[in-house]
Amino acid sequence: MAPMTMTIEPVSAFSSLDVLVAMDEGLFAAEGLDLRMASREARDIRSTTEGTLMSPVTNQGRLQERGEATMFQG
Amino acid sequence: MIVCAALVVPPTSDVYVPQELAHKPVGLDYGNGTAYAGLQMLEGAVPREAITTRAAVTHPGERLAALMRGEFAATVLQEPWITVAEKAGCRLVSITFFHGTWVAGPDLDPQLYAAFLRGVARAVRRINADKRRYVSYFKRGWAEGDPQVQALTADDFNLGRIVLREPTPIPEDEARWAWDWMASWGVLRGDFDVATQINRKVEREAHELAAATPGAHGL
Repeated sequence: MAPMTMTIEPVSAFSSLDVLVAMDEGLFAAEGLDLRMASREARDIRSTTEGTLMSPVTNQGRLQERGEATMFQG
Repeated sequence: MIVCAALVVPPTSDVYVPQELAHKPVGLDYGNGTAYAGLQMLEGAVPREAITTRAAVTHPGERLAALMRGEFAATVLQEPWITVAEKAGCRLVSITFFHGTWVAGPDLDPQLYAAFLRGVARAVRRINADKRRYVSYFKRGWAEGDPQVQALTADDFNLGRIVLREPTPIPEDEARWAWDWMASWGVLRGDFDVATQINRKVEREAHELAAATPGAHGL
């Protein structure tokens, strides 16, 4: 059976150590999941200093909005 | 995974408890979980009108550098920069933990999500069995170009700040409280509606599939 494929937005160890370890140790592959991590391009990156407390600027979710990732960490 | 966030002041600060941050600028990366964690730590200590924040960058290493330059009185950090800050003589005046929650569109395939959950759950069990073995992950990614992080040894990390649990469905009460709290700050508008925020059908199917898989509880 062909593996299922899913792309997620980039993550860091402080919030997704489990995902990084699962990728490196083949734990997703063992479940038939080819998990990929998208990269952000320069156009996807805006500084949080451009936003305000009530109207923040965040980079999370942009790739998912464009259909380039299925999930992101909020 | 559970994210650890610490409210940090520089070594020379006269702030020892979060109450002493009343009317003092705190650098927050607005829109990210650490910023909301910072607000909650402050709100537990001082009246809301005494909370003073400044926009700060997302990169925790750069926020720490700005703190050390005196651009604000405190900021909120996550690992490995909490450890870096402590080694530099900074003090933690409050610490909290929050869920890193995954967000997906409504068309997420439950089979796909179940496979993701199973992989994550196995990783959580492996990491919890030997956390020290995995702390090198905190030196990757954003931290690769940071010499202070690269100078850390595995023994420098406080394992009590590296907290993982196997994924569970999102508790509705907690989601509602978070929504209402963010709305009280003007970040969200309208009332919480669980049906539009959490796809319970996909969530339930995926968790049931993940739990029903043979070997679902092994390493």
